Amino acid sequence: MKKTLLMFLLLAAPGALAQDNASLQTDDKQWVLAGKDYAQTRFSRLNQITPANAGRLQVAWTFSVGSNHGQEAAPLVVNGVMYVVGAYPNELFALDATTGEMKWKYSPHVDPSSQGVACCDVVNRGASYDNGKIFYNTLDNHTVAIDAKTGKEVWVTKLGEITKGQTLTMAPLAAHGKVFVGNSGGEMGIHGWVTALDENNGKIVWRAYSIGADKDVKIGDRFKPFYPDAKGKDLGIRTWPNGRWQSGGGPVWGWISYDPKTNLIFYGTGNPGPWNSNQREGDNKWTATIFARDADTGDAIWADQLNPHDMYDYDEINENLLLDLPINGQTRPVLVHPGRDGFMFVIDRATGQIYSADKYDTQTSILSYDLKKGRPNYNTALTPLLGKNITGICPASPGVKDWQPTAYSPQTKLLYIPHQHLCMDYKTSEAAYIPGTPYVGATVNMYAGPGHYRGEFAAWDITGRKKVWAIHEKFPVWTGTVVTAGNIAVYGTMDRWFKVVDATNGKLLYQFRAPSGFIGQPITYQGSDGRQYIALLSGVGGWAGALANYEIDPRVRNGALGYTGAVNDLPAVTSGGSTLMVFALPKGGSP
Amino acid sequence: MNRFLWIIIGIVIVIVAVVVLGISGVLMPGKGSGPNLASGYSGLIAPEKLLRVPVSGIYPGGNPRGLNPHMENPLKDDPDAAARGMKDFDNFNCSGCHMGNGGGGMGPALSNHVWIYRESPANIYLSIAQGRSAGMPAFGAMLPDRTIWELVAYIQNLSDDPGHAFGVTTSATPDVPPREQVPVGQIQSPTPWKYTEPMPPNGEKNGSGSEPPDAPLPPGAEPAPQPQHLVTH
Repeated sequence: MKKTLLMFLLLAAPGALAQDNASLQTDDKQWVLAGKDYAQTRFSRLNQITPANAGRLQVAWTFSVGSNHGQEAAPLVVNGVMYVVGAYPNELFALDATTGEMKWKYSPHVDPSSQGVACCDVVNRGASYDNGKIFYNTLDNHTVAIDAKTGKEVWVTKLGEITKGQTLTMAPLAAHGKVFVGNSGGEMGIHGWVTALDENNGKIVWRAYSIGADKDVKIGDRFKPFYPDAKGKDLGIRTWPNGRWQSGGGPVWGWISYDPKTNLIFYGTGNPGPWNSNQREGDNKWTATIFARDADTGDAIWADQLNPHDMYDYDEINENLLLDLPINGQTRPVLVHPGRDGFMFVIDRATGQIYSADKYDTQTSILSYDLKKGRPNYNTALTPLLGKNITGICPASPGVKDWQPTAYSPQTKLLYIPHQHLCMDYKTSEAAYIPGTPYVGATVNMYAGPGHYRGEFAAWDITGRKKVWAIHEKFPVWTGTVVTAGNIAVYGTMDRWFKVVDATNGKLLYQFRAPSGFIGQPITYQGSDGRQYIALLSGVGGWAGALANYEIDPRVRNGALGYTGAVNDLPAVTSGGSTLMVFALPKGGSP
Repeated sequence: MNRFLWIIIGIVIVIVAVVVLGISGVLMPGKGSGPNLASGYSGLIAPEKLLRVPVSGIYPGGNPRGLNPHMENPLKDDPDAAARGMKDFDNFNCSGCHMGNGGGGMGPALSNHVWIYRESPANIYLSIAQGRSAGMPAFGAMLPDRTIWELVAYIQNLSDDPGHAFGVTTSATPDVPPREQVPVGQIQSPTPWKYTEPMPPNGEKNGSGSEPPDAPLPPGAEPAPQPQHLVTH
């Protein structure tokens, strides 16, 4: 009864809707940030759906976001309302999270030319909620704040230029009164940055570049890197050939984590430009780097460049899960970063010290990771020489895992990893920098990795540093995942299967054949009817699946930056789509 | 009334086309904007002729009335034009969007018979010079006229797909195994459709089966972890 009364008050009083996401994210009925919480765990304490009953799941309702491009967004659920962003043209829909009834939509006038500037389909990875507003990015470099109740535009801030190759695809993080946004365009020679905006008015509070002079990177007195190669003045200029840093990339198109205890944000930067490493001798700082920054000022606290002088497009924009784990007998605040380069990094988030870096899939381009130096031991036999076709590089450019986020269960103490299993041939050529056009200089041909499979859903024991179980999938697993206290984990496949598995052993509990392949992020929440729901956008695309929704020729392996070869059979199993799928147990059934 | 409306729309389209062509430097070489603006425009095709190339295939009243003049690539008898176009295709980052051999990526494929803005050499020329609204940059101010025609020659080759039919069938169980191009890493040619091989199944490396997909682990490398338990669905 008390609960009902509270619910009534929440719904009745509009003022009460404007809640801080710091408290809302601890309420598992909700899903207020793409990553569920500041720590990016994607773990829900909801436990209605279990291995015992998941086989009885049903489709509760569906909804089309009306754009048949890759749907990578995580829906949000706030006080009974679901908010979902579609791929370009980035409409935002508000739906009753229980019934699917549409409340409103917001349609921004996104510049159509931005479609030609986005490297890998015209995706959007979702929104953030805080204090009565939904924040998200449009492909043409606008961050918008929308009144969560009315759908009215509160503010719009333009942060970049498509004529300079910039786009916005990431889900911003709203935290501590600010919206943190990073730009995309690592294939366009952009000058990557993170920008903090004031949640109330959209004004830029600070901007920190990934490359350039220390003052632009916000490296100052407070910067205390752990490893010697990060110490020195203006490394963001001096680790590049003359002037090349200006078109050096370092986008921030992935995930931003926030630690309220220390008021620090953590995020990784993307690849250096161009892909052709022969044009940029040196470490190319601070690309493929994890940064810790003060959330209020942007000041850099430490930085670990995971892949100095990246040669294969191993962005390190992947999520950083903020966990407290036992390290050498002591509980330490750590950051777990499932690296695109194929190493599972466990890093002290106070100091930047790398405690461990273990391979979690086939890796031939890096022999091992040197924890003393904080640098990879590259396999020199696979160094890209100009004009030479280098074969057998594993992982391929999308890495062992790309943007698709993992989930961590404190119950099983396992990290659930959706990822791909691909290798590649790679031939470099001289690229000219022409602003607003691609800056790549590499021709890529990807193919299935050893064992005749292309994707995997794996459970990794972080402290035990081992892969406990794995499910091989025909295609790369390009969705995120969610894990719950009911001990289920959820993901989708590009060949249109929505899957619920037992979080303990990976056993398949439920699957459903959807309209289009999955590349989105599943979430779970509780409806006003008390039932637990699982939602995931169907709609194949993104880098991995653009072949199936866009005019790309499956007979030319080098298409889609080389991804075509690895998925050339995809158009025979799916086309593009736009359907939000929502599942629940049957009404009235005992859980 | 309807016919009157269409005439008005037609006039508006022509005005817009003149303005766009003017801005892109096709009609007014050397005039107006920056120093690069079509400075290399050598008039291989008379501008007033290009102006009559429509991007639409619908003519109000059904009569093109002088639109769509017959026009071949002025470099069609130059045997090296496509090879130079292939270099330009990389040098000006066309391959960054349309990818090696024009397989498509950020921009649409050029390796087949699908044309969003029509397929005549003049249409391809104008798409490059003017750009297109879904993200194709307007290269008219950057590239000399001759370079654009070289690109057109190369793109004509790229699209010279041997399997020319009204529609394309995509099947998980094809009657005849599909063929794919030999990757650019092995052969880069101005006529890529001359080099094909069977498409291997399951995203594997090549159709000849001569090379195993299993990448050998280099000496000194830490091995990849094996799961303690492999689950099959």
